[in-house]
Amino acid sequence: MKKLVSIALAAMLLLSTFSGCSAETTTAQKTDPAPATKTETETKTTPDAATTPTAPETPSAQPVEISWWAFPTFGVNSGYEQEVIDAFAKVHPEITIKLTTLDFQAGPEALTSAIEAGTAPDVLFDAPGRIIEYGRNGKLIKLDDMFTADFTKDVNNEGVISACKADGTAYMYPLSIAPFYMGINKEAFEKADALQYVNLEGDRAWTTENFTKACEALAKAAATQVPGIVYCGGQGGDQGTRALVNNLNSSSIVNADGKWAIDEKGIKSLELLQKMVTDKSLDANTAYAAADELQAFQNGVAAMSFCWGTSNSITYKSDSFTQISVPFPSEDGTPSLEFLANGFCVFDNKDDAKAAAAKTFIQFICDDGIYGPQSVVKTGAFPVRESFGNLYPDDAEKGLLSSWTKYYGPYYNTSANFTAMRTEWWNMLQRVFQGGNVAAEVEIFNAQANQSVTPAK
Amino acid sequence: MANSKAVVRAGISSQIKSNFISYLFMLPILVFFLGFVILPMVMGVFTSFTNSNMGGSEFVGFSNYIQLFQDKNFLKSSVNTIIIVIVSVPTVAFFSLWVGSAIYKLKPAICSFFRCVFYLPVVTGSVAVVVVWKWMFDVYNGLFNHGLNAIGVQSVNWLGDSKTALLCIILILFTTSIGQPIVLYVSALGNVDQSLVEAAEVDGATKLQTFWRIKYPAIMPTTLYVMVITTINSFQCFALIQLLTSGGPNYATSTVMYLLYETAFKRYQYGYADAMGVVLAIVIAIFSAIQFKVMNGGTAE
Amino acid sequence: MKLQKTNFYRILSLVVLVVIALLFLFPLYWIVTGSVKEKGDILIKAGESVKWIPSTISWGNFGRLFSATEPLFKVKLPIPFTESIVTLTGPIVPRAVRWLYNSVFISLAAMFFTCLTASLAGYALAKKQFVGRAFFFSLIVCAMALPKQVILIPLLTVMKNLNLVESPWAVIFPVVGWPFGVFLMKQFSESIPTSLIEAARIDGAGEFRTFANVAFPIIKPGFGALAIFTFINAWNEYPLQLVMLHEPQAKTIALGIAGLQTEMSNDYGLIMAGAALAAVPIIVIFVMFQKYFTQGITMGAVKG
Repeated sequence: MKKLVSIALAAMLLLSTFSGCSAETTTAQKTDPAPATKTETETKTTPDAATTPTAPETPSAQPVEISWWAFPTFGVNSGYEQEVIDAFAKVHPEITIKLTTLDFQAGPEALTSAIEAGTAPDVLFDAPGRIIEYGRNGKLIKLDDMFTADFTKDVNNEGVISACKADGTAYMYPLSIAPFYMGINKEAFEKADALQYVNLEGDRAWTTENFTKACEALAKAAATQVPGIVYCGGQGGDQGTRALVNNLNSSSIVNADGKWAIDEKGIKSLELLQKMVTDKSLDANTAYAAADELQAFQNGVAAMSFCWGTSNSITYKSDSFTQISVPFPSEDGTPSLEFLANGFCVFDNKDDAKAAAAKTFIQFICDDGIYGPQSVVKTGAFPVRESFGNLYPDDAEKGLLSSWTKYYGPYYNTSANFTAMRTEWWNMLQRVFQGGNVAAEVEIFNAQANQSVTPAK
Repeated sequence: MANSKAVVRAGISSQIKSNFISYLFMLPILVFFLGFVILPMVMGVFTSFTNSNMGGSEFVGFSNYIQLFQDKNFLKSSVNTIIIVIVSVPTVAFFSLWVGSAIYKLKPAICSFFRCVFYLPVVTGSVAVVVVWKWMFDVYNGLFNHGLNAIGVQSVNWLGDSKTALLCIILILFTTSIGQPIVLYVSALGNVDQSLVEAAEVDGATKLQTFWRIKYPAIMPTTLYVMVITTINSFQCFALIQLLTSGGPNYATSTVMYLLYETAFKRYQYGYADAMGVVLAIVIAIFSAIQFKVMNGGTAE
Repeated sequence: MKLQKTNFYRILSLVVLVVIALLFLFPLYWIVTGSVKEKGDILIKAGESVKWIPSTISWGNFGRLFSATEPLFKVKLPIPFTESIVTLTGPIVPRAVRWLYNSVFISLAAMFFTCLTASLAGYALAKKQFVGRAFFFSLIVCAMALPKQVILIPLLTVMKNLNLVESPWAVIFPVVGWPFGVFLMKQFSESIPTSLIEAARIDGAGEFRTFANVAFPIIKPGFGALAIFTFINAWNEYPLQLVMLHEPQAKTIALGIAGLQTEMSNDYGLIMAGAALAAVPIIVIFVMFQKYFTQGITMGAVKG
């Protein structure tokens, strides 16, 4: 037995002694299409380049390997990322793409350590919040050259364009946008006779008053274990709880000076939620993040989700009940919806060839005649390019969701200190729902969220 | 005269040679130890005096340290860390001693079965089983609440309530901490001179008396060692918190170790996080110095 | 009468012990059965009772777990005196198997290098006089109790400069550098009789020869203890892995499983299958080598 182990150990050591040590250096080296060694080894060139040894000396034809990290915006484990990579490989065989998928809970930390370690991906598929923050800190390549006049004209939406920029510099190339909204369990609402409070006509906008009534009815009828869960266990999907708070009394989380600030109305909303939790017409869960809440919704534990959206409605689809999308309730019935912008950024890994390849790849995903629209559809959202037209012609539900564009509120995710604010946000909610004084806790939030961590340049 | 000079010279050269060879023996570990332990420590101390973050870094003197002791979350995390240590160490020591004394006289096969079972959580690590714990503690459909509801007690949000969350963490930590102490106690108790025990029983000593007079001195060094490793283990508790509670609710389960991670990787405040690391390192150094003193005193006899 | 009473207590404590042991085994039981359960059997819904035993056995969870693939290893060997690099690529295996391989590789390599470096240094510290000996020893003792996590951030910078992030060595090297092993091996080396070393020297054996032939047989048991300690340590070195390894081919099994738990959080079956893969192989190894584990732990304590 001992011998066996030592042999295995020796073999493994031998095999991997050089792995990693020499990683990353290969691409920098000039890879003369090496004389193919006869052993079952494989040289670092792509098959195509090997068969055409007289490849032109243009930089774009040099084999390049880039890494792509993606949050599951194309759906969890959908396989679409690989599909795009394969399609791209046919057009650009010289560019190899290495895919890493991330999740919203642990992914951000993985990105931080990768950035700090200098192993940031070349391409990241994410949303403006983090991307703009990375851009401000000088970690990204400027994408201004991709925002051509044609592109801006095609997008024709100042809000979307500005969501991709920090201080006038573009860092994110947008693919699609979609609103964030709520999901409700139709059968549970019916059981509690609460469907009367929900507006299923027109654009489904409803009021805060009706929302509280519905919650009370749900709690009374015990239609589900809890009516809804205000989750605050982490930063995953925290925009949902922010949207809820902001809508209840039509408040904003950013003040006129662009600082993070919850105002009087916001305090009122938080107090309302706190009271509802005490009355058990809502539940707050400090151990749950959005993913947990969505599962609770999918499993029929909660009758509504505050983190519903175009991609979550696919991932957390229920077979046992009807899920209806509704906007967040607001005081006067005019919601102000946050929207999600999906897009790509390119990290500055001090390698022009990689950066160029990354841009080529991004353009393929977003603008290719076939894959451009398909990528948009895979995110379940709506194209930023008007020229893509209506990608869901037969889907009335999608038509309704896209009509909510008129309710899009100001986009605040590009404000400074966004990431630090998020951590403060869910911590503030935790304190509030553990019985803290709302006004006092908000004051702490307002102070902490603006504490700049970036040194003055 | 000349002769003795030659001897001295030979002595010096052989001394140099012997030093050289000693360093050859030391060289491999020094490469790793200096490169991957000492160098990062020095760098950490240096960074702790800057406001290093994703965008850059500037020297800020002691301000990180000053901020640290006004930081409520840091103080709370420190208290939590101390609570975990204070609760874990005696519980682990008592429980493993109890299990050890209950099983050491059993048939070898049965004894090793129990040892094995209690050691399993150590081998599997926390990550694999944390998913089961998360489900057991779940407020809506968790196993524990299922049990409570069955006997008519209201559900408890185990991980979401600041009153219970830390206890849950301590409980899971406990399951991963007792494996090694039990193995140690079984072996220590097995080494107790049985003839002494029998003699004492013949003399009419009670169980408790034999324990204190004969067994306890024999297992004393083991107890000290158990306390040391449990302390270190408790200070290091991290994976559980990261995977189960993210330090919440409201930092009720945050330890200094976790806060350090959060500060660095969620808030990008590397300098501040390093200051936490330095303080924690100093505290642990003091702790272990005390324990080493006690231990050496204990084993000296 | 007295006998009955002691018997009663003994039986009672045994019963309590069995119950606690079952509680300890429960998470593992739940993982293993969960990995072959259908989704409906894993979740408890309100008002339903817990399904303790799977109603059907399904391997679909493992099918999904093994659907993503990676080469088992990929080694880049520079050919001396040329600029080309040969890449050795292993057979394509499920990604989860690659994770397992990474974990095993990290643990074995850490074990190997720790034993090697620590035994050499421990021997020198115990049996040799040299300038700086006391200094090094106290440095080692001081650093011993510190958790590695306190130096995570600077360690990341070190690895960045060595170009080792995303490589298993980023986890292995700090584990090897941790000085507990040196301390342990020093304690073991103290028991080498100086007379034996001197006898070997008089016989004309060189220093390293003396180490291999005289010292090594004596410290061999310590070697075993250290090997086991380091293996478990490296296997469970989660924070270091978390910060150093992110890409799918670089992850260890613990990281992979933790990732699945958040990424695929509504596919319980998949998570259970992953957890089973993380837990079962190491348990099998442990049960097979249980004797050595127990000996190692005890020995480590006696000397440490």
